[in-house]
Amino acid sequence: MTQFLARRVALGLLVVAGVVVLTFVIARVVPGDPASNWVGPHASAAQLTAARHTLGLDRPLPVQIWRYFRGVITGDWGLSIHTHQPVLSDLATRAPASLELVGAALLLALALGIPAGLAAARWRDNAPDVLVRLASVFGVSMPSFWFALILQLVFFQRLHLLPVSGDYDPSLNTTHPLAVHTHMPLIDALASGNWPVFKSSITHLILPAIVVGSYPGGVITRMVRASILDTLGEDHVRMVRALGFPERTVFARFALKPALNPVISVTALVFAYSLANTFLVEAIFDWGGLGSYAADAIQSLDTPAIIGVTLFIALIYVAANLLVDVLQAVFDPRIGLQ
Amino acid sequence: MRLTRLTATTAGAAGVLAALAASGGSAASPAQTFSYVTPSQVMIGWDPASSYSNDIIGSSDMYETLTHYNPTTKTAEPDLATSFRSNKAGTEWTFTLRHGVSFHTGRPLTAQAAKAAIERTMKLHQGAAYIWDPVKSIATPSADTLVFHLKYPAPLDFSASADYGAYIYDVKAAPAKKLGAWFSQGHDSGTGPYTVDYWHKGQEVELRLKSYPKYWGGWSGSHYQAIEYWVVPSVTTAAQLARAGKVTFVERLNPQLWASFKSNPTIGTTSHSSWQNLLALLNTKSGPLADRRVRQAVSYAVDYNGLIAALKGDATRQIGIVPPGLWGHFNALPGEYNTNLAKAKALLKSAGYGPGAKKLTLVLTHVQGDSDEDLVSTLLKSELAPLNINLQIGSMAWPTQWAKGKSSNLAQRQDIFLFYWWPDYADPYSWFVNIFKSEKQPYFNLSYYSSPKLDAMMSKAERLAASDRAKAVALYRTMQSTLLRDAPVIPLYVQQYQRVLAKSVGGYVDNPAYPNVVYVYDLKPA
Repeated sequence: MTQFLARRVALGLLVVAGVVVLTFVIARVVPGDPASNWVGPHASAAQLTAARHTLGLDRPLPVQIWRYFRGVITGDWGLSIHTHQPVLSDLATRAPASLELVGAALLLALALGIPAGLAAARWRDNAPDVLVRLASVFGVSMPSFWFALILQLVFFQRLHLLPVSGDYDPSLNTTHPLAVHTHMPLIDALASGNWPVFKSSITHLILPAIVVGSYPGGVITRMVRASILDTLGEDHVRMVRALGFPERTVFARFALKPALNPVISVTALVFAYSLANTFLVEAIFDWGGLGSYAADAIQSLDTPAIIGVTLFIALIYVAANLLVDVLQAVFDPRIGLQ
Repeated sequence: MRLTRLTATTAGAAGVLAALAASGGSAASPAQTFSYVTPSQVMIGWDPASSYSNDIIGSSDMYETLTHYNPTTKTAEPDLATSFRSNKAGTEWTFTLRHGVSFHTGRPLTAQAAKAAIERTMKLHQGAAYIWDPVKSIATPSADTLVFHLKYPAPLDFSASADYGAYIYDVKAAPAKKLGAWFSQGHDSGTGPYTVDYWHKGQEVELRLKSYPKYWGGWSGSHYQAIEYWVVPSVTTAAQLARAGKVTFVERLNPQLWASFKSNPTIGTTSHSSWQNLLALLNTKSGPLADRRVRQAVSYAVDYNGLIAALKGDATRQIGIVPPGLWGHFNALPGEYNTNLAKAKALLKSAGYGPGAKKLTLVLTHVQGDSDEDLVSTLLKSELAPLNINLQIGSMAWPTQWAKGKSSNLAQRQDIFLFYWWPDYADPYSWFVNIFKSEKQPYFNLSYYSSPKLDAMMSKAERLAASDRAKAVALYRTMQSTLLRDAPVIPLYVQQYQRVLAKSVGGYVDNPAYPNVVYVYDLKPA
């Protein structure tokens, strides 16, 4: 087990290092001097030279990469050219909000996707199956920005049921200030027993979580349906049917559990995918996560921030894959940690 | 039975949703709070000496300057200085400070404190600190008198009103070596009507300012007691927030959304000319545009009124280089260009191009993501096509566009460089010295234009601005006509500020010298 984990972690870190080098080189090959954004549009040539020195851009590329790796290990991920703040501090502020949103979206996707997939398999080729398949195609193929605008229009503009943007009602900052520990408002509010902020956070989370969760929800539904249909054809299911178990037990007890194994792997992967895919949704719902930070970084050629976000996402992908491997081994006795 | 259970569950879920929305949802903005919506992070820089970005919209309500530019009178007026004068040569300026002013740290404003702030800004020399470059020394003969001795004549009344770099702040707010770090944690040490309540970086309401009780202007009468700065990147979300009455002011929407508020009973719209103009710099050094006739032909080919119409009120016509509202602007200039395809064809023909002759290919670069520049590029392409000119459009990030423009390899450079310019203080000199002064290595002179005669006129105009404004204005007229004749630039339009503002707000005025700044203290809430 330890050897397996060590080997997987080492391989994962190698992948992360490769991603960083590649991003670094691409960012440097693109014409343009990031220092021009550091000093602003009307800066003098002397200011520009000083900024290039401050940012280490006047050193050879291999030296820059070496210094960057050294910095990553010691907790210095560089200074953001756009915000003029340490990248690690920016990520520590922004990433938790994205993780909260994607976490909520995945919970929603699992809560709806598994029963829906089960229902589709149970009533295969009947009305529930057709409806579920249509809904999952809708979830997977719907452009997130369009879906977000429609939800805003319906639930905020027309029905006045849910807020249009933000992570909680800003007026609560003065009446019920939130003690920030994790930068996840829902968790912070729960931890500190700040119920007005907690309730407000839930209402603000619903619409963006639906939009972000629509893709993983669609994928999970289809995966559950397909896996269950596969499992239903296996010997052990035929056996329990022959023994006269009711259909509800056959599905819930004997078909669902083995069918969930591929769902675990797809869930971990769509988590990492959704994290990178929330950028547009965050912009529309004004969600203070990585999205707007990454968008600003790209527009201003903010190399340290771009590499920082890339590194963070790469680490999440590697961690998700590692988790999948371990969980599959735990849940499926046929897979060993070798 | 199943249907009944499903219906009950759905109704229950809707009920819970409604209850949550009612209990924890977005409450209306309190009447005494002004809510300002901007599309990107507000406080990028906190240090008043070096901040040089969107932070101006927050800083201008926390900090004040010695003078303030009035776009109506086109003069600098008292702010922290109640009066100011210069000697005849414009090399010595005396400012008398207002009494009863205190910094948000509680310390009083004195000439020594103001001097310390300006000297720190000069020493750091970041952002717009260059506005103090003419200053040789500062004397404080009394507690309320500042005397600036200059190296050469300069309009220090305007420099002291600059949008960046001119703030007066308390340098003793923290120990000298830790002051920069103290600012960057979200503190201010200004004298303005509002001070920091909280700064939540990355959140929807990024910054909240509260009234400073000891503000020298006092709080009697009707004033907003707090300002919230909302960061809303999506224009559709910003429009929905405004429609729902959640926010007071939206800095910018697209023209279509902005126009949709014109019939709104509670939300109004304002439109005001800015000092930001879009310029097409034409390559005078290499390529086909090195021929002045071709540059003039392209200038005649532009459908100026068509551009304005396509931008749906987002822009107005720019005559010359200096925008309306700034001294040195003229509504008509000798040699100004109006659309004239016949003249364009004749000029192209004389240069060996045009319909039926050799095909001309030009490369235009502009900043990616700017929808106005996208539209302008597309329109220019269609306007030039009938003249047998193929316009290739390159859309890229600003650092890339700028790097290409500055490239020492002439083949890498563009033919047409689209970009915006605006001044840091109320002086037309900014356009000329930065964009048209001869440069060995191009920096912002990306038309690569070089005219010793114009260079000499610039130097003269800078000095005359301090000593004889009327002569300076006349000289700027000649300089603009010279540029029109040589055609290194096509001034395409001047941008309009299109704001969305709650009708309950009284006294709003857009001052182009302070882009996107709302002086909230001067407004009257309902």
